[in-house]
Amino acid sequence: MPERDEAAERQALQRLAAWCYQYSNQVYIPGDRNGLFLEAGASERLFGRTEHLGKRLQQELGQLGYRALTGSAPTPEAAWLAAPEGLHIAEPGHVRRQLGPLPLDRLHLDTARRVAMERMGFRQLRDLLRLPRKSLTRRFGPALPDYLDRTLGIRPDPRAMYHPPEAFSSHLELPAEISSCQGLLFPLKRLLEELCGVLRGGDTAVQSLHIILGHEDHQDTPLKLGLQSPTQDANRLLGVLRERLERLRLPQAVREIHLDAPTLLKFSAGQHSLFRDTPAEQQQDIRQLTERLQARLGNESVSGLSCVQDHRPEYSWRPRTLDERPDCTALAHRPSWLLPNPKPCSIENYEILAGPERIESGWWDGHDCRRDYFIVRDTHGCTLWAFREYKPRRGWYLHGIFA
Amino acid sequence: MNSINQLLSTTPQLWKGRQASRGQRTLPTGHTRLDRQLPGNGWPQGAITELITRKPGMGEFRLLFPTLADTSRQGQWVILVDPPWIPYPAALQGHGLLLDRLLVVRTGGGKKSLWACEQALRNGRGGAVLAWPEHISFSQLRRLQIAAESSSKLAFLFRPENAGEESSPAALRLKLEPGNRRGIRINILKCRGSRPPEPVWIPQLFSAYGKHWHQTHPYAAFTEHNSNTALAGSSLSATGRGPVQTRPKQH
Repeated sequence: MPERDEAAERQALQRLAAWCYQYSNQVYIPGDRNGLFLEAGASERLFGRTEHLGKRLQQELGQLGYRALTGSAPTPEAAWLAAPEGLHIAEPGHVRRQLGPLPLDRLHLDTARRVAMERMGFRQLRDLLRLPRKSLTRRFGPALPDYLDRTLGIRPDPRAMYHPPEAFSSHLELPAEISSCQGLLFPLKRLLEELCGVLRGGDTAVQSLHIILGHEDHQDTPLKLGLQSPTQDANRLLGVLRERLERLRLPQAVREIHLDAPTLLKFSAGQHSLFRDTPAEQQQDIRQLTERLQARLGNESVSGLSCVQDHRPEYSWRPRTLDERPDCTALAHRPSWLLPNPKPCSIENYEILAGPERIESGWWDGHDCRRDYFIVRDTHGCTLWAFREYKPRRGWYLHGIFA
Repeated sequence: MNSINQLLSTTPQLWKGRQASRGQRTLPTGHTRLDRQLPGNGWPQGAITELITRKPGMGEFRLLFPTLADTSRQGQWVILVDPPWIPYPAALQGHGLLLDRLLVVRTGGGKKSLWACEQALRNGRGGAVLAWPEHISFSQLRRLQIAAESSSKLAFLFRPENAGEESSPAALRLKLEPGNRRGIRINILKCRGSRPPEPVWIPQLFSAYGKHWHQTHPYAAFTEHNSNTALAGSSLSATGRGPVQTRPKQH
């Protein structure tokens, strides 16, 4: 029988509070019970009546793996009483009538007092409400009438609001061990949905995630996920994660998953056009493609190109990341392709078409050269770029292809 | 009757007798002779074009320069997946492929290469993807074609000679051979919308450069496209004949 982990429960409540922030800007975590209070009146126009919001919350929390009971009322304590019944009390005047039949064990009272009340013959809330205040105070102390006043709305009930944290951290213990990478996608999807709910609530986005997979007898497996641009989109994160998991080899079955988003960045949702034609959107598309390819194939697999100011062709180019601006020199008379290394050849097999172009340089880093480049054609009809080297080694080499 | 006419005019795979169908979206190739012969007068958009050569490097990539330059100019991306050689940025820039719209993907070949191709084809809208697959089956080609359709991209696959004998779902299949007067002879093996037309000869274009030397050959004339484009960084005469003085800076 698994033990009740109070710390984990409290942590889960904290995360859920952050998640609920997308539905209300006034969230309160009561220290003494397993639940949350959300102020729903101000956003009634956005989310509809509280019944609809309650149903929606129940459904979405169900997808995250929690079973929730929701209820609403004009005061927090009344809402707490209404939740197990699924009641949604609209008017302050209805509180007394609708909550009256509730038995005493639903009330938020300590056991000793409750037992005392039952001994006196009280069974339901309305029995308590019928008594005059002075007698209640005399018999049970001032706390009970205060509680009843707060429930009915006679006395105000201010609460300290919850503030969402700067980072997100969650932890999931798997009910059964998972040994395949694809099997991990399902619990990870849940964690990502929770994260994205929190992000939406706080108007923030993530650009990197740290995931740690815990094993029983083995060191934890860390997974780092980086994106090209901040996002709030669970599907995009899941897509990149799926590709990353393809590359991963699990040393052992996974028993628990930790998900950390160390920095939450400000999020600005851009305008979406219908055909994704604007340059900004094309840039975004390319970034998403790049992060997906890099997640599966490694960071070096995708790059742009840039020119380098050097006369020697083999040094006059380099790969660049997409964020850099490329240096561009346009040399249309050069071949589109270079061979990885100049290949020795015998010039008799080729027909010289044009040339020579003298390239001489590189004395400052020791790779100096003197070459005459020619455009040549071979027997198959391919046009190639060959050079005759005078320095350092004499000979004819093939260097490029005009494909 | 109306519905049949509508089908014929919008579906490139259907055509009546000798008339070519018109239902194809294309982008002009930049070579007038080739455009005239191709159904839709250009490369099919949202479908695969296969370029089959006996020996790689005989001019199949340069054939695409006008279209790729247009694509770059419109701000769309050109993606090269596993090219067999190192792309030389200065030359590509000189022919109009803007470096800030060029992406090179290196996967190490095999299934990963095809997967990367598919991802590149599915992503976004517009642009071109060029790939050099080593082995690709009919069903894999079909998958790539469907991916290209979803994003209206141009997809160019460069394939070896024996691929000409296999069947393929590609919308356009061209076989390139060296032609007379140093041009390229293009056999259209398959196209959508009509019977394969006659082979096309187009002149092979490359620029003239170099100092005066005794083995001068008159070079092939530039096509109409190139003579109108200003090629930065070199002073070339419009017809490309005769020696041209370009001296790299001597240190």
